[in-house]
Amino acid sequence: MKRMTWITLFLALSLVTAGAVGAEAPVFKIGVITSLSGGLATGGNVTKQGYEMWAKRVNDAGGIEINGKQYPVKLIYGDAQSEPSQAASAAERLAAQEKIDFALGPYSSGVTLAAAPVLEKYKIPMVTGSAESPLIWREKFKFTFGTIPPVNFTGSSALNVIATLDPPPKRAVVIGSNDAFSKATAETFRDTCEKLKIKVMKYDIVPSGQDLTPYMSAVRAMRPDVIAFGGHDEELIRLVKALRQIHYAPKALLMHYGVTEPAFIEALGKDAEQVYGASVWTPTLKTKGGLIWPDAQSYAADIKAAFGIVPDYTMAACSAAGLAFQAAVMQLGAAPPLDEAQKLALVDVLEKLDIHTFYGPIKFSHEGEFYHANTGLTPLAFRSRVARPLSSVRPTTRRHRRSTP
Amino acid sequence: MELLPQVILDGILIGGIYITIAIGFSLVFGVMHIIDFAVGEWIMLGAFLGYYLNGWTGLDPFALLPVVFVVFFGIGYLIQPAIQRVISGHRGNPLLMGLVFTFGIMLIIRGLGLTIFGFYSRSIPSKLAASSWLFEKGDFFLTVPFVRLAGLAFAVAITLVLHYMLKKTDFGTGVRALAQHKESAGLMGVDSHKTNCIIYGIYVGISAMTGVLVCTIFSMTPMEGGRYTVLAFFVVVLAGMGYLPGVPWAALFLGLIQSIFIVYLSASYTLLAVFVVLYIILLISPKGLFGRGW
Repeated sequence: MKRMTWITLFLALSLVTAGAVGAEAPVFKIGVITSLSGGLATGGNVTKQGYEMWAKRVNDAGGIEINGKQYPVKLIYGDAQSEPSQAASAAERLAAQEKIDFALGPYSSGVTLAAAPVLEKYKIPMVTGSAESPLIWREKFKFTFGTIPPVNFTGSSALNVIATLDPPPKRAVVIGSNDAFSKATAETFRDTCEKLKIKVMKYDIVPSGQDLTPYMSAVRAMRPDVIAFGGHDEELIRLVKALRQIHYAPKALLMHYGVTEPAFIEALGKDAEQVYGASVWTPTLKTKGGLIWPDAQSYAADIKAAFGIVPDYTMAACSAAGLAFQAAVMQLGAAPPLDEAQKLALVDVLEKLDIHTFYGPIKFSHEGEFYHANTGLTPLAFRSRVARPLSSVRPTTRRHRRSTP
Repeated sequence: MELLPQVILDGILIGGIYITIAIGFSLVFGVMHIIDFAVGEWIMLGAFLGYYLNGWTGLDPFALLPVVFVVFFGIGYLIQPAIQRVISGHRGNPLLMGLVFTFGIMLIIRGLGLTIFGFYSRSIPSKLAASSWLFEKGDFFLTVPFVRLAGLAFAVAITLVLHYMLKKTDFGTGVRALAQHKESAGLMGVDSHKTNCIIYGIYVGISAMTGVLVCTIFSMTPMEGGRYTVLAFFVVVLAGMGYLPGVPWAALFLGLIQSIFIVYLSASYTLLAVFVVLYIILLISPKGLFGRGW
C-alpha cells in the first residue's frame, strides 16, 4: 500500500513537471560555436563575451519582439576547442540535437571554414562576429554571414598610413602564422607593400608557437623599415617581446588583430607602443545605433560594467552579429521555433539588411569576393599609445586616421 | 656568415630554456619511472603564481623564484603519494597507469587554470627583459638579451645543483639506488616513500620556476601547458629517457638546430626539421643521443 502511494506521488509529480516543461514559453535557440578552450581560447572567449552581452540585453528587455510578443533568446554553446574538426562536430550537434534556429559563429577563420559547411547542410543561417579570412567569403556559403570585413578589405589601411611617414618606408619584411586568417593577413600586407612600392625583402609563413628570436636576428641584419606580421594575439606578444629582447625597433611594426585587445597592451606594457594596427571599430568611434545601444560609447560602458574591460572590435562585432539576427528576425516577423522555410527567408532578409548600430553600419555584400561579408564599414588605421591596465585601456582617438581600402 | 655567431648564440639561449623545461621531467622519469603529462601544467601554474606575486610585491621575477619553488615543492610532495598509489600495488603496467593519471591531473589543472586565471595572455615584466648587450661593427653584430642569458644561467645552475645532489650527497646516493633497484635500495635503508616525495617535489618546484622564466621571456595562457609538455618530451627522448646528464646536451642540440634552420634554411619548416632530426637520431640510436636511456 505504502509503495502504491509513492508510485502515485511520483507519477503525479512527473505529470506536473512534464506539464511545466510543456508550458515553457518559446525561445530563439541560438547555437554559439566558438573556441572556449585550446590555443585560440583567448579570442574565443572574447567572442563569447560579445554574444553574451547581446543576449543579456535582449533578455533584460523581455526578448525579441515579434508581432507584439516578446521571445527571449537562449545561447547554446558548442566548444570548437580551437580545432576545425571539433567545430564541425559542435555545429553538427547543435543543428541535429539541439535544433537551433540560428548560429553565431566561431573565433578564427579556420574554425569558421569547418563549421560553415555543416550549417549549410542543415540550412541554418549563421552570422559570425570574428572571421576575417577572405577564403570564407570566396566559398560563397549561402547561410554564412560576417560582421567583420575580410582582412583583404581592411588590412591595407594601416600600411597606407605607414607609407605616408616621413621619410617613407622603402623595405619591409612580412611574416604570417600558418593558419587561414594569419596567412591571408600576411598576403594582404605583402600585396599592399608591392602596390605602395615598398620592397618586400622577406616573406615567410611560419608555424605558430615557435620562438622567433633567431629569425628576428636575421631580419635585423636586413634593416627593414617595416616588419608586418599576420597572427593571433599570443604570437603578436611573443614577437614584440622578441624584438625588444634583441633591442631592435623598425620604423613601423605592423600587426592586424590584437593591437586593440586589452591583453596585448597589458602583457606588453610600454612595448605595445609604436605597434600599428587596423580595425573597423573602437569605443571612441562616432556611431549611431537603433537597437539596444545608441552608440559605441554606451556599448563600451556596458561591457566595462559587465566584464571590467574595454571591448575591442571583435567583441563589438560579435554583439553586432546578434543585432543583425535580431533585426532580421524582427523584419521577417517569424516566431520561434523557425522552420526550414523561415530560415531560408531569414537568409533573404539578412542579404537585404541595411541597419545602423553602435558598431557602425551592417550591410552584407551579396556578390563578388566579399559575398556575405559586412562591407558597410570604414577601416581605421591606428597605433597603440601608452600602456594602461586592462580595465582602462583605450586606443587613442588623436591618432586615428581614416583610409579607404 | 656574419650572422653565424648570433645564430649559434640564439640556439644556445633557446637550449637553455629547453634545459629548464626538461630536466625535472627527466629526473622524475629516471627515479619514479613516471611519464608526467602534467609537466606543462606545472610550468603554467608556476608562471601564474610568478605573475601574481610580481603584481602584489613588485619584485623582479628572478627574485621570486625561491618562493615559487618552495610553494610548488610542497604541492608536489603532497601529491606524490597519490601517484605512487596508482603506479604501485597489483595494478598492471605502472608506466601506463602513471601516464593516464598524470594526464588526468593535466586536464584538471588546465580546466581550473582557465576558470581561475581567465583566458588572457599574461607576461611578467622584468628589467632584464628590456635590456640587452649589443656589439655592432659594420655588418657584424651580436645581441645578448639579458633575460635569456639569465635563463641560461638558471638552467646551468639547476643542472649543477642536481648533479651535486645526485653525485655528492647521501640523499643522492639513495635516489640513484632507488632508480636502479627499488627493493634492494629499500633493504639498504633507503626510505623510498620519502625519497619519491622529495624528488617529485623537486621536479614540480623546478617546473614551476621554469614557468616564471618562460612567462618573463614569452607569455603564458592557461591553455599553453601542452606546448611545454611536448618540448620536455622531445628533449628527454633525445637525451635518452631517464638519462639526466644527457638533457643539457640534447636541449642545446635542439636549440641550435632550430636556430640554424630558421635562419639559413626555412622558417616555415623549422618544427618539421626538429622532428625529422629527432626521428633520424632515434632510428640510429633508440636510447637517445648517448645510448644511455631506457
